[in-house]
Amino acid sequence: MTQPNRLNQGGRLDRSRRLSFTFNGQQYTGFAGDTLASALLANGVDIVNRSFKYSRPRGITAAGPEEPNAIMQLGASEAAQVPNVRATQQALYDGLVARSTNGWPSVQRDVMSWVGRLGGHLMPPGFYYKTFMAPASMWMTYEKWIRKGAGLGRSPAEADPDIYDHLNQHCDVLVIGAGPAGLTAALSAARAGARVILCDEQEEMGGSLLDSRESIDDAPAAAWAEQTVAELAGMDNVTLLPRTTANGYHDHNFVTLHERRTEHLADTAAAAGRDGEVRSRLHRVRAERVVLASGSHERPLVYANNDVPGNMVAGAISVYLRRYGVAPGQKLVLSTNNDHAYRAALDWKEAGREVVAVVDSRANPDGDLVKQVRDSGIRVVTGSAVMEASGSQRVTGARVVAIDTERFVVTGKVETLACDTIASSGGYSPVVHLASHTGKRPQWRDDLLGFVPGEVKSMHFAGGVQGVYALGETLADGGRAGAEAARAAGFAQAEAITLPSVEARHESPASALYQVPHEKTTLRAPKQFVDLQNDVTAAAVELATREGFESIEHVKRYTALGFGTDQGKLGNINGMAIAARCLHRAIPDVGTTVFRPNYTPVSFGAIVGRHCGELFDPERYTALHQWHVENGAEFEDVGQWKRPWYYPRKTGGKTESLHDAVARECLAVREKVGILDASTLGKIDIQGPDAREFLGRVYTNKWAKLAPGRVRYGLMCKDDGMLMDDGTTSCLGDNHFLMTTTTGGAATVLEWLELWHQTEWPELQVYFNSVTDHWATMTVTGPEARKLMSEVTDIDLDREQFKFMDWKQGNVAGVPARVFRISFTGELAFEINVQANYALHVWKTLFAHGEKYELTPYGTETMHVLRAEKGLIIAGQDTDGSVTPEDLGMHWAVGYDKPFSWIGKRALTRPDTARTDRKQLVGLKPKDPKVVLEEGAQIVLDPAEAIPMTMMGHVTSSYYSPVLKSGFALAVLKGGRDRMGETVYLPMADGTTHEAEVVSTVFVDPKGERQNV
Amino acid sequence: MSEAHFEANGGNVAVFDTHPSEVIAAESPLHWSRERGLVDDVAGHDGDVKVVERPFLGHLILRGGAITLDEAVRAELGISLPGKPLGLNVDADGSRSVQWLSPDEWLVIVPGGEEFELENRLREHLGDAHFAIVNVSGGQTLVELSGDKARELLMKSVTYDVHSHGLPVGKAVGTVFAKTSVVLRRPNETGFELVIRRSFADYCVRWLLDAGREYGLRVESPSSR
Repeated sequence: MTQPNRLNQGGRLDRSRRLSFTFNGQQYTGFAGDTLASALLANGVDIVNRSFKYSRPRGITAAGPEEPNAIMQLGASEAAQVPNVRATQQALYDGLVARSTNGWPSVQRDVMSWVGRLGGHLMPPGFYYKTFMAPASMWMTYEKWIRKGAGLGRSPAEADPDIYDHLNQHCDVLVIGAGPAGLTAALSAARAGARVILCDEQEEMGGSLLDSRESIDDAPAAAWAEQTVAELAGMDNVTLLPRTTANGYHDHNFVTLHERRTEHLADTAAAAGRDGEVRSRLHRVRAERVVLASGSHERPLVYANNDVPGNMVAGAISVYLRRYGVAPGQKLVLSTNNDHAYRAALDWKEAGREVVAVVDSRANPDGDLVKQVRDSGIRVVTGSAVMEASGSQRVTGARVVAIDTERFVVTGKVETLACDTIASSGGYSPVVHLASHTGKRPQWRDDLLGFVPGEVKSMHFAGGVQGVYALGETLADGGRAGAEAARAAGFAQAEAITLPSVEARHESPASALYQVPHEKTTLRAPKQFVDLQNDVTAAAVELATREGFESIEHVKRYTALGFGTDQGKLGNINGMAIAARCLHRAIPDVGTTVFRPNYTPVSFGAIVGRHCGELFDPERYTALHQWHVENGAEFEDVGQWKRPWYYPRKTGGKTESLHDAVARECLAVREKVGILDASTLGKIDIQGPDAREFLGRVYTNKWAKLAPGRVRYGLMCKDDGMLMDDGTTSCLGDNHFLMTTTTGGAATVLEWLELWHQTEWPELQVYFNSVTDHWATMTVTGPEARKLMSEVTDIDLDREQFKFMDWKQGNVAGVPARVFRISFTGELAFEINVQANYALHVWKTLFAHGEKYELTPYGTETMHVLRAEKGLIIAGQDTDGSVTPEDLGMHWAVGYDKPFSWIGKRALTRPDTARTDRKQLVGLKPKDPKVVLEEGAQIVLDPAEAIPMTMMGHVTSSYYSPVLKSGFALAVLKGGRDRMGETVYLPMADGTTHEAEVVSTVFVDPKGERQNV
Repeated sequence: MSEAHFEANGGNVAVFDTHPSEVIAAESPLHWSRERGLVDDVAGHDGDVKVVERPFLGHLILRGGAITLDEAVRAELGISLPGKPLGLNVDADGSRSVQWLSPDEWLVIVPGGEEFELENRLREHLGDAHFAIVNVSGGQTLVELSGDKARELLMKSVTYDVHSHGLPVGKAVGTVFAKTSVVLRRPNETGFELVIRRSFADYCVRWLLDAGREYGLRVESPSSR
């Protein structure tokens, strides 16, 4: 395979390593050191994509992240697909497979181009909004076809085989960009001893030095870059991150860097022979100081047909020639408004290609580079610009004309120069993106014809990003910024490094030129593209201003200027300049656009890191988890806890249903004995002489007389009087209590106690500590519970000695335990607490003795049914932050006469909380026992009422009871306690209406005798 | 087993020896991870990074004023309370430590089985001062990280600066670990320690194994106490 545009020598390539790759199914070769873009250019590939809206053929325009056209779909297999990779930023590797992201059936023959060509002038800005407005219901259909015809790449349809991660980094000085300014900044800070991170998005560090014509210390600039990078690499306090883009600058000098670790080797880490290695990594950097040395992007000029393949920015020409040994054409016309771009002409000529002319918009350019070009015999046309490119699949000529930039008119006759490449340069735009991520607006500088960053606290600017372009000055500016940053980070001795010698050059000032005037008006001239990626033309911007859009922020949204992967890197300033011209204002007066993260697209994998699959969210396990798994439990998520939901039995290859398992478990508890792992309940140890007083202030009920050895149920309200949490608290000693909370409320309640203690009652002597994980908790409950317990404990279980709501200490299965006689089932119950390390032994011992009592493990579903049969609420299920203790019928647990006011008391004495028509907790018994009402179902009194019906309340808990052989429910109902025995109706979405009777909340054992046996 | 109610200071606090008098099987918080094949027996293997559990230690939380507690801790444990926030003091052989957790909160870690006796001695010593001592030995465990890649493994896992500038020997912090939190300690030059909560232990182990896969990470724990 030949590479027709490859020079015989030159470039930072390893020519001994040929790499083969395919683009749109065709095989090509390149060299190690190529980017995909340089390899395509070397192979003479002119058309790399079709444009977004008009489907025009497009070629490679730039050499960096600002490239708008060469947007690729990468990946040899489905799982490896990566959309929207800029070919200019993708290192070539052997076997690379790339496709254009746009163009169907191919970029050479594209169906949509006929739409664009025939209907182009019929597609003004807002075309899709305006055309596909109605009917609204059809938009989904239109959208599908519009997206097929236009748009960027696609996501893989298979799972990503690679892994990604995050690395938390901390440093004194983060230097962003390893060009001349970044290198001297990093070196100055590092030599002072600062911890330095230097990142650069390219394959090789050095930035503009790698394609520079200039010398440093009488050697090529690239050699100085290599030597400096080597010195930095040898320092312990320096971390070098090549292939790493600083994508987001966030508050407090938090910067996110996206490092691509294997993407230069293969399309997956596995294919690169690096299985298990991280493909790309997000560095989360906390920097004391940031040095932004991001340089500048060259702006192209806006002229007619400036999108035809063969039109490039001038600097890219030099990069391809000098860095990659590629001449992307034969005959060059350069159109410029500044001196620096002249180097493209010199580089082109030195590569043995023809420079047809340099066309300069200035009348009398006289800088050193201009002289050098003239001296080499190249024709320089002054006071002129390229007005229009000829050609359709590739440039065939440049139409050049004298212009008056002040009056925005052409002033002479058009001359057509035959050429295949037009390079243009409209000046340089500092890469200010990161400096504006936290909201600082860039500042316009007339002398630079560009925006520079606004002041950002803790950020230092170096080199091109603040318009310092000459090599010697750039090196000096970096040294200054690096030393300043290090001093600010506490390295008082930091100084700028001694600078290498660089020859100073005289440059003549640039002139302001953005859009080149055409012999026709902007609206009638051939398309003059401002934003190539989004097909935004000068005419579109002009039309937008005529339609009344005066702020660049609105023009941007109306025309799509600056959208897409390049985020206006090439087009934004030109767009603003055109809007300013149309509105007869200065550029800064049309506003500035503020950039948001990310600078370039970041893969979702890198954003997600390891937080995916089974590590997506923590799973919390109790000490008994192994037993639950081994005994076939199905699990329910309660917060982050995995709790056994029910234990289906497997017999003869058949697995018990949820309904059958729960019925069996319920009956086991009511008739024999069951056991529940209750370890997830929140447990808070409370110690101190004022512990009792504190409890009295955070609970609604009284604690003054609870004796050691006794347990009490408590209700906790927020200051609005609404129930927040509930649970039992045991008096362990006069100054010592153990509070339990709901599983989900554990952390919230502890914080609540600390909040009130620290902010309102710091004088109370009391400490709170979480012991949730320290204790494992098992509930043994049912008529046979005492018999089972008596086999494994030395505690006296006599009903007179160990009463309901007592707790005792002793051994259970040989392990020291606290046993609490509290019941959430309404049955005789013993709640056992042991140190969690011994829990499995105790649990297994209970089962060893439990067989004869048919000891049955039960899960949360059975627990819910059993507690609901007893009318026991679950905070957060039967309450929703609008329910008071009185609404729940728990007046008995509210101590209005306690001497010190308690949280919620004042709210509970408001007239609103005393209304008799508040929603109150009731029981509901469906008239049809087979019906299990839907939780959340609305209650009405008149089923014939027209919609919207008067809604009186809703079902909060509803189950089937195997004891009652009927469905039953808890509900909140307006004035519910006065409606006992009434019939209410529950209309369902499917048109049926259920009937239910309002009954007491206690369905089983209304006198509460069973738990007291 | 001792008396349920310990009359120490005119107040009334129930102390409790959680350990059985006979030898009974116990499971550390890493037990379930071991059952799943994620944790190996301690093998003395030296990779780039290694995580080893030190199970069944005695963990006590002390609450109270620094001056009061310092005197008692020095007398009863032979270690002074760290003089600064985020301080960690370790005794000569590294088996007992006191760590600052918050302005009135310290974590004491001692060899397993010593914690109950130490609690009683401290209570005796502190008399009727206002303080609290809470045994949390069943609720958390200590794991040690060592090896050349230990620091990088931590950088993947915690947000705190784990460079010796940010976390010198003698410092301990509470920090975010993936989507949970841990106590991170630097007791000596050779490694780091994490104090992890029982219910989150398996998540932490799985995270460490995933993050340490490229270094050949192993998680080890003694097979029984």
